[in-house]
Amino acid sequence: MKRRTLQYSRFLALLLVFALMVGVVSAQGDRKVLVDAGNAVGASDVPTLDPSLATDTSSIQVLIETNPGLTRINEVTLETEPSMATWTVSDDGLVYTFSIMPEVPWVKYNAETDAVEQVLDENGNVRYVTAEDFAYGIRRSIGGQLGSYYGGIMASWVVNGDAVYAGELPVEELGVEVLDTYTLQITASKPAAFLSTIFGMWQAYAQPAWVIEEYGDFWYEPESFQGYGPFTLKEWIHGESITIIKNPFWPGTENIPVPALDEVKMMVLEASAALANFEAGAADVSIVPLSDIDRIQADPVLSEAYYVGPGSCTYIYGINTAKPPLDDARVRQALSMSINRQALIDNVTKGGQQPAFFFARPSLAAAPHQEDYPEYVLGEDVEVARELLQSYLDERGITLDQMEPITLAHNESEGHARIAQAIQQMWTEALGITVEIQTQEWAVYLETIKSDDAPQVFRYGWCLDYPDAHNFLFDVFDSQVRELGINWNNEDAAEFDSLVEQAMVEPDMQTRTDLYAQAENLLTNKDAAIIPIYYYTSLNLTQPWVQRTHSQFGQEYFEKWDIDLSARP
Amino acid sequence: MSVTDIASLSEARPKGDSLWMDGLKRLARNRMAVLGVVIIIFFILVAVFADQLAPKSYEAQVLADNNAAPQWVIDMFPVMTSKADGGYVTVSNDYILGADDLGRDILSRIIYGTRISLAVAFVGPILALIIGLVMGLIAGYFGGIVDNIIMRVVDIFYAFPTLLIIILMMAYFRGSFNESSSQGTFGYALYMADRSMGGMLFIFIGIALTSWVGLARLTRGEALSARQREYVIAARSIGSKERGIMFRHVLPNILGPLIVAETLTIPTYIRYEAFLSFIGLGVNRPTPSWGSMISDGSRAIASYPHQAIFPAIALFLIMFAFNFLGDGLRDALDPRMRGVE
Repeated sequence: MKRRTLQYSRFLALLLVFALMVGVVSAQGDRKVLVDAGNAVGASDVPTLDPSLATDTSSIQVLIETNPGLTRINEVTLETEPSMATWTVSDDGLVYTFSIMPEVPWVKYNAETDAVEQVLDENGNVRYVTAEDFAYGIRRSIGGQLGSYYGGIMASWVVNGDAVYAGELPVEELGVEVLDTYTLQITASKPAAFLSTIFGMWQAYAQPAWVIEEYGDFWYEPESFQGYGPFTLKEWIHGESITIIKNPFWPGTENIPVPALDEVKMMVLEASAALANFEAGAADVSIVPLSDIDRIQADPVLSEAYYVGPGSCTYIYGINTAKPPLDDARVRQALSMSINRQALIDNVTKGGQQPAFFFARPSLAAAPHQEDYPEYVLGEDVEVARELLQSYLDERGITLDQMEPITLAHNESEGHARIAQAIQQMWTEALGITVEIQTQEWAVYLETIKSDDAPQVFRYGWCLDYPDAHNFLFDVFDSQVRELGINWNNEDAAEFDSLVEQAMVEPDMQTRTDLYAQAENLLTNKDAAIIPIYYYTSLNLTQPWVQRTHSQFGQEYFEKWDIDLSARP
Repeated sequence: MSVTDIASLSEARPKGDSLWMDGLKRLARNRMAVLGVVIIIFFILVAVFADQLAPKSYEAQVLADNNAAPQWVIDMFPVMTSKADGGYVTVSNDYILGADDLGRDILSRIIYGTRISLAVAFVGPILALIIGLVMGLIAGYFGGIVDNIIMRVVDIFYAFPTLLIIILMMAYFRGSFNESSSQGTFGYALYMADRSMGGMLFIFIGIALTSWVGLARLTRGEALSARQREYVIAARSIGSKERGIMFRHVLPNILGPLIVAETLTIPTYIRYEAFLSFIGLGVNRPTPSWGSMISDGSRAIASYPHQAIFPAIALFLIMFAFNFLGDGLRDALDPRMRGVE
């Protein structure tokens, strides 16, 4: 999860995001729409459409529409709801039995006839999505030796998953069983409240075995791609756009209705170019460039189209607690307390983000809200920060000038650079310390911050994979899975581990929330091993003739959108 | 004996100027070149006295003044409307050219950015002259096997794409090293050297690696023809040493075209730096460079055009100045142009 979420948050911070720039394609009254797969600097294309290998938001955005999972997250309530299947759970919370919707055909776009066609098998019968297809997808992700990142994440939750992933057991030993054509049973290795969400993630989507066997590694190109969801892949101009087209054979369900839109085209555009298109009326939905937010808010037309809603990520500075002077909690607290988060949001990041003192986003299940636990919130107080730093200096008997220099690292990006420069200045003004900013290219940066030798302070972001506090507190900071080089190893860290592990299996919601609040207290307040900065928001511009939902987790469900053709110029 | 109105013959003979004086005079008559010189001197003074000239610090941020602009800038760009008029721009006449997205004074940043551009403008040609001139002179004057070896080396370096090399070096040295795992290695030493130079080291190395080859070729060609001249034969016949002939007789005679060539290349070096800073590979933040200012400003060009346009004007002016100076020098130092008005 780390990988995708980090990339993802980087995009969000840049606001060059994979968000939606829906452009009108046709003037003929078709409900056609273009969606921007607008990747940020560097990656300028959707990296893959292989569900087993997808790790980034743009790939998942396409797949979520072409190959819906067994379950899926409601984009507004963040609750897990039936998608391709309904399910039952055994009393011990370990055996999940999924009843898959019958007779949903596999489909394929035929470029010659410009139509979506049902896929036939070798006997000329329509191929329906079966439990076998889902089992194939899961087995391929976990046991296919593809190096599937999310296959590895899922492996720890399925019986024998880790061993199969490592190649120590044959894939048949995996706890996934096809009971009949439309019934799939997954046996979990341990119970958890959010398992139904994990089994609905993209690495567990149904995959067409016959296509993958015939076409090999690049089976997901439009010439061979097959899907079954409300949309299917129509066209993919690498580095430029990707188009999905309505699947007329999609039966429509309560959660996934028959789409009103005929087509959605996602364009790879930089934020400023996307805005220019939007202002020219050439796009229906656009991402929002940071530099233009003030103008958008002041403009009578654009401000109507401007939407700010909750995002799915948290922006933090991680701290390598082994490196002096940050090996002392007082210095870490001083740094955290001397950041003026609201000023940073108002003047630098703009998009209405929320100041964060806890790591887990409040929208997650079981996540404590910082206003409910004021005694656990470190807060901001420059005076106290100065006293803390001074007491640390006095204890060591040194002056500020003799203190070790502090390095603040971030991956190369305009947005992170601005935030880092602003915080650098805040620390200099409040505490008189000098901070050197260091930037690294993304891949190297990831290695750097995961090594024991991580920089003293380093920028990090985390976005939800499934809406539970576990995904934030356990998946990132529990020492069993922790990859970040924060080197947080004292007795408080041990207590943190026991708290989040307890919360993982605790059935009562309020008790879980309390446990997570105590864990947050250790992580962000008492020990201040990280400095939470803000909770992301999701921003977009939507033309008035688009009726849509606003997703809180990064992907949109276009089948719930519509365009008012009479209002469109 | 006829009547004459002159006192002596020497008075009648026009006074001979040296080639250089003559060139200088002709340069002074070229208005565009003079304008170029004036602009260059102006920017040199700005760079030298940046600390005194800059009204504010180039790095101090006043976050509340982010993207602020003075009234005259707002009046100049119709797209910008002040908050008072229901728009979005914070009006602050404290900033002569406005402030950037972190509330830093644009004028001060342009003034300090002059140092970066001029450093590249002068270090480039100096490196090229030191390496290229010596190599070319030796090759051209001695000829034969020496010439052959040097020119093959030149051929190899000629194939190096300067920008690609700089980008590769930056990507490798800046991205690959972290504090302790690589400490003590040569790459790490280079990385630290680059950091201490504010990120200019690899720009200089890249320019040094490739900029000299053109000059070496030119010098060799000039030296090849010069060594056949009578004055060289004369110098040799009176027993001058080879090194003396090379540097005292050949070099001054071929220097003109070399200076012209180098002056005309200066804008290329400035462009390299601006381009690299534009794509985020130039000097380290928060040190301002015109390229990085234009890059930052271009992101906001729809809302705050002044942030990109002012540094762009500065860049335009200095490129323009060096180009016209180069053109003027070419006309002035060309012996064939001698005596032509």
